[in-house]
Amino acid sequence: MPETADKTRTDRSTAVATDLANTAKASKGGGDVVERTSKRFSVKDLNLFYGEFQAVQDVSMRIEPNQVTALIGSSGCGKTTVLRAFNRMHELTPGARVEGEVSLDDQDIYASNIDPVEVRRLVGMVFQAPNPFPTMTVYENVAAGLTLNRRGLSKSDKDNVVEKSLRGAHLWEEVKDRLDRKGSALSGGQQQRLCIARAIAVEPEVLLMDEPCSALDPVATLAVEDLIDDLKSRYTIVIVTHNMQQAARASDVTAFFNLEASGKPGRLVEMDATDKMFTTPSKKETEDYVSGRFG
Amino acid sequence: MPEARMHYQDQLDALERNCMGGLDLVIASLDRTMEAVRHQDMELAELVIADDDRIDGRYLEVHQEILTLLATQAPVATDLRLLSALLHVMHSIERMGDQCVNISKVIPLTGHDAPVHDEMVDRIVLMGKQGRSMLSQAKKAFEGRDVELARDLVRQDDLIDNLNKECFQIAVQVGEDKDTREWAMTMMLVARALERIGDNAVDIGEQVAFVVTGLFREFEDASHPGQAPLPST
Repeated sequence: MPETADKTRTDRSTAVATDLANTAKASKGGGDVVERTSKRFSVKDLNLFYGEFQAVQDVSMRIEPNQVTALIGSSGCGKTTVLRAFNRMHELTPGARVEGEVSLDDQDIYASNIDPVEVRRLVGMVFQAPNPFPTMTVYENVAAGLTLNRRGLSKSDKDNVVEKSLRGAHLWEEVKDRLDRKGSALSGGQQQRLCIARAIAVEPEVLLMDEPCSALDPVATLAVEDLIDDLKSRYTIVIVTHNMQQAARASDVTAFFNLEASGKPGRLVEMDATDKMFTTPSKKETEDYVSGRFG
Repeated sequence: MPEARMHYQDQLDALERNCMGGLDLVIASLDRTMEAVRHQDMELAELVIADDDRIDGRYLEVHQEILTLLATQAPVATDLRLLSALLHVMHSIERMGDQCVNISKVIPLTGHDAPVHDEMVDRIVLMGKQGRSMLSQAKKAFEGRDVELARDLVRQDDLIDNLNKECFQIAVQVGEDKDTREWAMTMMLVARALERIGDNAVDIGEQVAFVVTGLFREFEDASHPGQAPLPST
């Protein structure tokens, strides 16, 4: 990447961090400033296995803060597996194994002294199907992560975080009068935004989204895409999508994964600015995929 | 490849054939136009004017096909560049058709007994031949995605430009006779229209480079002659 582009991004990140710090300071009446900025993922020689089967081979990439990175590729190419390795969810599958390095800024998230639960707080995940806790109210859904991560929070502080998170997820105006209703009673699009509110309530650095709109209608999809665009000023966002138009619309950088043949491991074919990937990709393999010429 | 995508490929191929067929229509129109200029054939000129509807019709047809493919197939990468290029090419074709009409419209002004200067007519006939050759070359370059052949159009266009300048000098020095001066001015309009056809052929060449390289650059920038970078393959 050209030095100037890198510098611009750094300046922007710093500005965002300062904004957030100032906001935090204002809201706390001049107390301790908690500096927050999103983080950069560096992935080096990542190999992922399910038992004997190698699902992903030799992936190296950098995911920059304050932008949306889309992972695209056909089913089985390993993109979701890579996403799940970013918050140490991959290892929850019995027999799953990780080789290589995944760092959040300079911290290897697989280092022996790192608590995977803390990694998952810093790196939130939004899943394909909206999955609010069905027996919990809207309020309880958003506060669920807080109860786990920030015990001892007063009721009024919790109220503030719930409202801030729901506002952040563009959902507050729609649910503010029914916070005590079941989360599962909301529409699909609202449920997905509720899940995003739940994910951001614990103040992560990174949001991972695994096909967040595949179960939503076009109106709800656009609402979530608007939200993603808004969130990228505060978070590093990685989104897995099968919807090529969504990748083109909603992301700044696109990474294309593919596998040589069925049963072979997935690998990163090409990663570049989204507009370049969809107008002049460097590799024929990418061109064929984005143009729908596969099989 | 899935059947739906093969159908899409067929649609793209048909669209390109349809657009390139527009170039054939212009070549035919230019042939008739030059024939009418050489023989001051007003009936043939009328035919050129009437037949331009076919080129305009082709423009509307290709334009609609491009919109349909954009709306229904969401083309990206090379397909997207091709559609963008075809839209430009079809516009150039329509403009060249209009230039043939412009020439045909002034043929009656040159009159049956006009004081013809052969040295000017010869150059205009040469410009017409060169224009025709450039149109064929542009078509071949587009169909073959041949950037070198496309770039060579700039060199070919220099020949037309030089002939145009020579015509201008002849017209300036054509003498005191009012009818002769009027005839020379009219022939300059013809030369100017042919010169524009050469430019349009170069425009098509630029679209070839865009489809192949993804870089859209003018081969020659009229406001900064000799400075425009050529796209690399």
